[in-house]
Amino acid sequence: MKQFLHDRLPLDGMMAHLRKPLPKHINLLFSLGSLALFLLLLQAATGAFLAMSYSPSPDHAHNAVTYISEEMPFGSFVRGLHHWGASALVIIVFLHILRVVLYGSYKAPRELTWVVGVLLFLVTLGFGFTGYLLPWDEKAYWATVVGVEIAGTAPVLGEVVAKVLRGGAEVGAVTLSRFYALHTIWLPWLAFGLVGAHLFLVRYYGSSGLPKNTPEEMNTGKPFFPDQVFEDVVGMFILFVVLACAALFAEVPLEKVADPTNANYDPRPEWYFLFLFQLLKYFQGPFEIIGTFIIPTVGMLLLLFLPFLDRSERKVLWKRPIALTVTTVCVVAIVGLTILGATAPKLDSQEEVPPTEEVQQVTSPDTQTPDSEDEEDVFEFNLTEEEIDAAKEVGEEAQ
Amino acid sequence: MSNEGRRSFLQIASACIGGIIGLAAGIPLIGFAISPAWKKEESQWVDLGLVDRLKNSRFKKVNYTFTAKDGWVKATKKRSVYVTDVGNGEWDVFSRTCSHLGCLVRWNESQESFLCPCHGAVFDKNGAVVAGPPPEPLQKLDVKVEAGVLYVKET
Repeated sequence: MKQFLHDRLPLDGMMAHLRKPLPKHINLLFSLGSLALFLLLLQAATGAFLAMSYSPSPDHAHNAVTYISEEMPFGSFVRGLHHWGASALVIIVFLHILRVVLYGSYKAPRELTWVVGVLLFLVTLGFGFTGYLLPWDEKAYWATVVGVEIAGTAPVLGEVVAKVLRGGAEVGAVTLSRFYALHTIWLPWLAFGLVGAHLFLVRYYGSSGLPKNTPEEMNTGKPFFPDQVFEDVVGMFILFVVLACAALFAEVPLEKVADPTNANYDPRPEWYFLFLFQLLKYFQGPFEIIGTFIIPTVGMLLLLFLPFLDRSERKVLWKRPIALTVTTVCVVAIVGLTILGATAPKLDSQEEVPPTEEVQQVTSPDTQTPDSEDEEDVFEFNLTEEEIDAAKEVGEEAQ
Repeated sequence: MSNEGRRSFLQIASACIGGIIGLAAGIPLIGFAISPAWKKEESQWVDLGLVDRLKNSRFKKVNYTFTAKDGWVKATKKRSVYVTDVGNGEWDVFSRTCSHLGCLVRWNESQESFLCPCHGAVFDKNGAVVAGPPPEPLQKLDVKVEAGVLYVKET
């Protein structure tokens, strides 16, 4: 068999290519790319199996996810791997990007490798955004409502984009179907095309190594195969053990089925979008678009075109004060906003009284009645009277 | 025709044929995908309940359902509004959808404000923004009274 393949495939050439030496100075952070690829494949594998028992319709999606989690053998484990794997993928890709920035690995001639990598980062976030609608629970519904509305604030084409994403005027059956198609067909095709291009470019230009490598040291390190591959595989094993433990012992959240009238629910996105959620609080009135569109778009464009903006050849970090400052500010801002968003007080402990009730029909089969007239629709809010009065004064002055 | 000229023609012809196939397939596919953007939204009047039962209401929360098409589904949709009887047969019906990013606002009687749980928006009792990020006031829905029943216009 080996001879059969050997006679028909250029195995010697492939192995020689894989055995090419890496730069002399390299460290464990150079395994982050391999770990990201591993997680992407793990997501593809678990997602493919989850899709076999899932139905993308508002009537069935939540039940299907409940069925997977509670009744299918290993269903909870597979869903757990997929759920925690998504978070791990975002973290690993973020760290991978950070490593590339700090070591100046995006610089010439690796500009295209960087651009394709940033596009992969966006695709990863796209997977996250389209994926968490699928369970069709409260979090799924409201996070998607807010997320699509954010897209809708973009100038000129915003409302068109929002309608195309939703497949109509509001989040519903068509939205779920669209997001499912994006999550399981469009984005995977895009991701694997980009991964192919990224890997080709990484192998074509070789590893950038640590900034301290001299040109002579770029091809004098250990071979990629089997030395580096072994380290990568060990990293994958450790990561898989962590994910498996999370899947076994940490409960994967599944809230109540989505209810568009449940005002007692405090919508919050997944943790990796919390910084954006928190950012939106600081831009008010006509400045709303700064938080919803301008900062995210400019930030992404700057990230995408970083190699063309920073054209110096210096790679050592302390000789790149601007890069160091900007990176530090961005990381502190993202982490800080995420923590603020995660710890912001919620209102759901202060529910409306009485809680939302199902409507009763009295005048005709289509006629509704108000909630109980004997009770006041009152709930407590966590702002003080003084804060509300101060806010009103500011509003009146603005008018 | 020289070989070079012939090959140049073949290159251009291949590109043209590929372009035609791309356009012929691409335009309908893109149109198919983005068609919801230009689909006309239908509106309908939905009854909220008997006027007698809503009389003297002050920011009364009313949940209601109505039937509307959602793609291929004839879906029962749920909505929630705040209804106020302003007298002389006039009614204020506020949508609970925050004009910022679509979360549901809550009426707070003691503070006479609508409060949004997402980004801290505060609207006064007329729906005007007094704090937080919304660029527009809370939407006041069209209403009518017919045969003792209060109707709200749904889109």
